[in-house]
Amino acid sequence: MTTSKTERPEKSTAKKPANVAPAKVSQQPESASAAGNGFSEGLGNLFRGLGLFIASLWKQFFGVIGKVLKQGYDFVESWLLDGKKSLYGLAMTRIVLGITGFGLLFFNFNTRLYSFGAGAAWNLEAMVAKSDFPKIWIFSLFHDVMLNDSVYTLCYLLLMAVAVLFTIGWRFKFVLPVYFVLWVSFIEANDMLGDQGDNMYRIALIFLFFADPAARISLDWRRRRKYQAKPETAWIVRKWKGEPLFDAQIGSLFHNLALVVLTAQVCFVYVSGALYKAGGKPWQNGWAIYSPLSTDRFGTWPALSDLFTFWGPVVVAISWGSIIIQMCFPLMLLTRPTRIVALLAIMSFHVGIAVLMGLPWFSLTMIAIDFIFIRDRTWKSIGARIRDSFRKSMLRARSKEPLEGEADEVGNADEASVDTATEPNAEKPTAEKATAPKAAKDKPKVTVQDASS
Amino acid sequence: MAEAAKPARKKIVRATMIVAVLLAAWHIFASFLWIAPPSPLRQVVPGTALTNYMIPFFGQSWSVFAPEPINGDYTLLVRAKVDKDGKQETTDWVNATKVEISMIHYNLFPPRAGIQSTELASEFKGNWDALTADHKVIVKLGYFNGTDWRNRLDAKLKSYPSANLVPAYMGSEYMITAYSTQVAKAVWGDKVSQVQFQVYRQNVTPFENRNTPGQEPQPKQIADVGWRGLITAPGQSDEDFSSVFKAAYDRLQK
Repeated sequence: MTTSKTERPEKSTAKKPANVAPAKVSQQPESASAAGNGFSEGLGNLFRGLGLFIASLWKQFFGVIGKVLKQGYDFVESWLLDGKKSLYGLAMTRIVLGITGFGLLFFNFNTRLYSFGAGAAWNLEAMVAKSDFPKIWIFSLFHDVMLNDSVYTLCYLLLMAVAVLFTIGWRFKFVLPVYFVLWVSFIEANDMLGDQGDNMYRIALIFLFFADPAARISLDWRRRRKYQAKPETAWIVRKWKGEPLFDAQIGSLFHNLALVVLTAQVCFVYVSGALYKAGGKPWQNGWAIYSPLSTDRFGTWPALSDLFTFWGPVVVAISWGSIIIQMCFPLMLLTRPTRIVALLAIMSFHVGIAVLMGLPWFSLTMIAIDFIFIRDRTWKSIGARIRDSFRKSMLRARSKEPLEGEADEVGNADEASVDTATEPNAEKPTAEKATAPKAAKDKPKVTVQDASS
Repeated sequence: MAEAAKPARKKIVRATMIVAVLLAAWHIFASFLWIAPPSPLRQVVPGTALTNYMIPFFGQSWSVFAPEPINGDYTLLVRAKVDKDGKQETTDWVNATKVEISMIHYNLFPPRAGIQSTELASEFKGNWDALTADHKVIVKLGYFNGTDWRNRLDAKLKSYPSANLVPAYMGSEYMITAYSTQVAKAVWGDKVSQVQFQVYRQNVTPFENRNTPGQEPQPKQIADVGWRGLITAPGQSDEDFSSVFKAAYDRLQK
């Protein structure tokens, strides 16, 4: 940036005399000798001055435009190449997506043969697949084995195991392609029972191919931290032990672009959802959520449905609220206070869909992706808090001390008194402050450092 | 930003960046066109290029519950003729949808098994609605004798105008008959010789009447279909079906 700044003025000053000034200078004596009176000379000077003025404005204008463009370019380049963004957010996306996949498989396990296997041959999927995917050989595994109970079950269990590896982030670069192929093969083998959550899930997995979602909170992370570069070892060994696959800038580039594409995807989904809804009478009149909640299919908790639809204003608030939050979501991401509101609102929107409408896996998929919008700082402090209170609880359990003063500790996590265990008389705040540092202060400190390193 | 040491950029990195950014921009633009409500803006991508790019990997549709959310239930009832001591007895109707829905009601993590008959009934009703009045008269008749009853039904339906509607209908009738056969076998055993199914749609109580006590339920929009022969799809496992369905059915009887 500094080098370019100094370069630019030099260049332009070099140009200036060559192009503009000499031309005017050569004109000046000519016109002066031809007219020879003060008035025309003054007029000439005026025009000349105006000409210079316009030329300089022109130059400044383009100078500013150029500078802005250059700064913009530098910012974009630096944003894309210098370090991976939202590492914790994307790691949480990976974890929640993994839990979603595993959960879906787990809660469909007892009925797998009834709805996806030989018990569902009546739907003729086994003869002619309805989705495009089973027709692509790599995605045809579950389709091909669906009539064989034991092989189907084996593949199903294998997929569950891979979902676990995906969640914990073990050898992610290898596990992701395997998981993607198996998952798409499984979910697309039965077209009738799918929902939009399946589409979103698949699309998010595709984007994860380019990102580094196992860079934090994963087994890969642990291995990479332990790894120390020893140049004498063979290339393949270094890569296997945790050296980044690409040049750091290229790795950042793909990672950050994946984030951009994922953000665009989510924003389009929300905004188009709002636009589609806004075109319908029930949404305009504000009672749209009443109808699905009153059906058997999408009102899976009839008593709760009645509770939420009993009072008209609540129905309107939820119906209009969901359109407004979907519509405004991208803009609300731009500043921190509105982002917090947007994320809280959209999460409660999804929790509502998950519980009231019986679509937990759709909702969890959306929540997983929305996690990229929570800053790494926030994730770290959440992590530190959880670790902190876990350690404290363990310490306290070891010393067999009853859980007292719990409410006080939530407030000041850092200063919290681990040593109420060692100091039974720590009820008075003064005593606590005096004794706390000695025994326990370094413990929480370590955890904070862990989290931020 | 970054006044101090600005990282060096290799040429290859810059070139990769330009290509990757262009690809990402194209993907974002294509997704925008695909996800947003259809508009003349789609004409900027010539021919079928957009579809070819988006399908199948980025296939999606976000007009969920829009412009109008679903406001009715689809139900599938099944009954059968069962051989009992040489005589044929007609069973009561079993509400297969109610049986499956019981798997997802008051369940935080409902299995997909619970929505099969609803999906099936909804698809069937759509194809039945599309038939002409003449077709509907034929469909209401019983077709169950011999092994060629489907061919006879098919030929009869195609002998009327709008024969082009018949394949879609016959396809969904196959599925729903095969499903009903499974339900009948699960509930009444192997002595089943014919099945009949009924599909209806029933709207929810209008919003303004939702809290009025003693509301009459909305009228059932019934698709009338006659008796049918049994259909067992290739590879169908009666056991895999009945073990789940019968268990849910028995739970509901208690």
